[in-house]
Amino acid sequence: MNDFTLIRKNLFRKKMRAGLLIFSIMIAFLIFGVLGAFYSVWTSGTSTAADNRLVTVNRINFTVSMPFAYWGRVEGVEGVTNVSHASWFGGYYQDPANFIQTFAVDPESYLAVYPELTMPDEQRAAFINTRDCLLVGADLATQYEWSVGDRIPLLSNIWQKQDGSASWDFEICAIFDAEDEKVPANYAIFQYDYYNEALAFNRDNIGWMVLTTADASLNESVGREIDALFANSPAETETSTEAAFNEAFIAQMGNVAMILLFVVGAAFMTILMIVGTTMVMAINERTKEIGVMKTLGFPAPRIFRMVLIESILLSLVGGLLGLGLASLLIAGSAAAIAGFLPGFSMPPSVMLIGVGLALALGFITGIIPAINAQRVTIVTALGKL
Amino acid sequence: MFDQIAAVTLINLRSIPQRALLSGATVFSIALVVMVLLGFLAMSNGFRQTMQGTGSTDVAVMLRTGSQTELNSGLSSEQVRLIEEAPGIARDAAGTPIVSGELYVIVDGLKRASQTEANLPLRGVGPAAQTLRQGFAIVEGRAYEPGTNELIVGEGIIREFSGFDLGQTVRLGSNEWVVVGVFSTGGTVFDSEIWTDLTVIQNLYQRGTGVQSIRARLTSPEAIEELSTYAENEPRLNLDIQNEVDYFAGQAGGTSDLIMILGVPLSIAMAIGALAGAWNAMYSSVDTRMREIATLRAIGFSGFAAAFGTMVESLVLAGLGGLIGAVAVFLLFNGVSASTLGSGFTQVVFSFAVTPMSVLVGVGLALMVGLLGGIIPAIRAATVPLLAVHRS
Repeated sequence: MNDFTLIRKNLFRKKMRAGLLIFSIMIAFLIFGVLGAFYSVWTSGTSTAADNRLVTVNRINFTVSMPFAYWGRVEGVEGVTNVSHASWFGGYYQDPANFIQTFAVDPESYLAVYPELTMPDEQRAAFINTRDCLLVGADLATQYEWSVGDRIPLLSNIWQKQDGSASWDFEICAIFDAEDEKVPANYAIFQYDYYNEALAFNRDNIGWMVLTTADASLNESVGREIDALFANSPAETETSTEAAFNEAFIAQMGNVAMILLFVVGAAFMTILMIVGTTMVMAINERTKEIGVMKTLGFPAPRIFRMVLIESILLSLVGGLLGLGLASLLIAGSAAAIAGFLPGFSMPPSVMLIGVGLALALGFITGIIPAINAQRVTIVTALGKL
Repeated sequence: MFDQIAAVTLINLRSIPQRALLSGATVFSIALVVMVLLGFLAMSNGFRQTMQGTGSTDVAVMLRTGSQTELNSGLSSEQVRLIEEAPGIARDAAGTPIVSGELYVIVDGLKRASQTEANLPLRGVGPAAQTLRQGFAIVEGRAYEPGTNELIVGEGIIREFSGFDLGQTVRLGSNEWVVVGVFSTGGTVFDSEIWTDLTVIQNLYQRGTGVQSIRARLTSPEAIEELSTYAENEPRLNLDIQNEVDYFAGQAGGTSDLIMILGVPLSIAMAIGALAGAWNAMYSSVDTRMREIATLRAIGFSGFAAAFGTMVESLVLAGLGGLIGAVAVFLLFNGVSASTLGSGFTQVVFSFAVTPMSVLVGVGLALMVGLLGGIIPAIRAATVPLLAVHRS
């Protein structure tokens, strides 16, 4: 019988107790896993942002438009490799509840600025050359069961055509996806001209510009130069990196990070208390046994080690079960919420932090009982009846 | 029988201090579960209260058909004039219809908490706007002069965003504004807005004479029928007409529900975790008193009395945890100010609200955990074999 067998037997000597402890540890790690993955994917806008991509918006606010002519002027700024523009369409399909993120863009430059969007070459060409083509993200296409060749109308909840209608007819001629799962594929884009020429009001305006610089080190100077171009005009601009822009937008929702931290913190405090006190109690019950072991010649450090390993093992079993369950849950719900949170998956970093937390939990809950066990003297232990 | 139950229950409760560590852990863990649940409820309720406290049934909100929110809507000055002459619209003492065409532009403000830019509504309003908001009052400074670059800001803006203090000059795009007053509408959505004269907004932001929404005082809440019928039969009007209460209730749903969709499963998962903890604690309680319980049974106490004592112990620990959690949430969160992106795509400032109802729900959840956590150990206590007396 080696030490590990002894540890295992000790751990499960009261099956009910071990089971309950593992269960409550599992729940805490399940919460950690799901929320950790949620947060990581939700803020992925900052991690999928290219480090040389900048966003130029109206200084008043990014919802306020700017003149179309700005686009051409930014092209001339030194250090800018590609620049495109986009306008919010406010699209929906059939019913206002079927809201679809839709942008009117300049096709060729848009695909140049977002090289991570992939599609077959003939579809790419069709998107660039077809006036009423709608390029649909793969997640969106799955959600509405659209395929290439379908003709659909999209309505706008903001814009109206000169004829008074708010409906634009499209042919879905391309579907894009991306290698990286975190890159959103839940929106649709189409040619700016097709939208602009029909508008009843707000013609020849664009929503924002997005551009790439030759090198990330140029970001700051390029940004300054662009904003200087339009200073003191009715539509001043503000240029920031894509990452900073996304981060600011996420921060508008409120301090989600703090709320999640509070919840995960509460979950871990709970198990820390429950597991910690139970371990102390469990080892106290065994004082006599430890006395016997010492009498048989087990050295104190070995007993210390055995108790500590027992507690770490308990945390690891519960922790891994919880993280595994979280992965299953995430995999199961990923498809259902792809429209709201694309690329919902368990990031390896969350997994790693989880295992680290399990080890730490085991150590913290095991250290006091281990020290107590190590200090047990044979006389008091065996004298205790 | 009752004597037995009372005696065993007392023994149980008096022996709690002997198991202080584990009992304390149980109370604490249940308190944390209740805190998480009540925290989410307070957030959701706070947001809902702000939205639903806004508006009255005798104010009609009119938007362009199908636009759903003010931001997407657009109406002409001709439509405003038609509404001014429409039936069902109240008039003030001078005979002027109480109608306000309004328009807002989203501008950037700096959120104090995160130091990041956030969307704020800069609303251009007509003279009737103030009387159309119940409880509107200037709490500091004065009202803006029509036709000038003066602003008044809501109390919520002052609380959550920097750069809009009284007397300050604010640069929005290429225009400079001066904050001349602070207004309050008693904690409604409008406290999260910045107001100025409609015509100034129309000029500075090239909106011509158009507006986004029309608000009008009705002669009575029922007069909305009359107004709707008129609008339907008038081809120059394409309006969705709602009373203000319904309008804001519709806008509240999404965010408030989202908070609960996140909060409820989390609280339940944590409650299940705490349940295992409570169960564990009660199991130990029965375990350590095995001899005692066997002795009681041997001298004639019923199994039911033994089980009852264990149940009461479990419920007392859980109830205590629930109360501690509720008090902690009340002290920590009640009235705490926060803001989030509302359906108008601008920030809505709200205060966390711990309601008596949510406290009941929280304590109820705690007792549920106590009940479920205690029941199997209680059955165990009832069925302790008498021979356990001889266990060493």
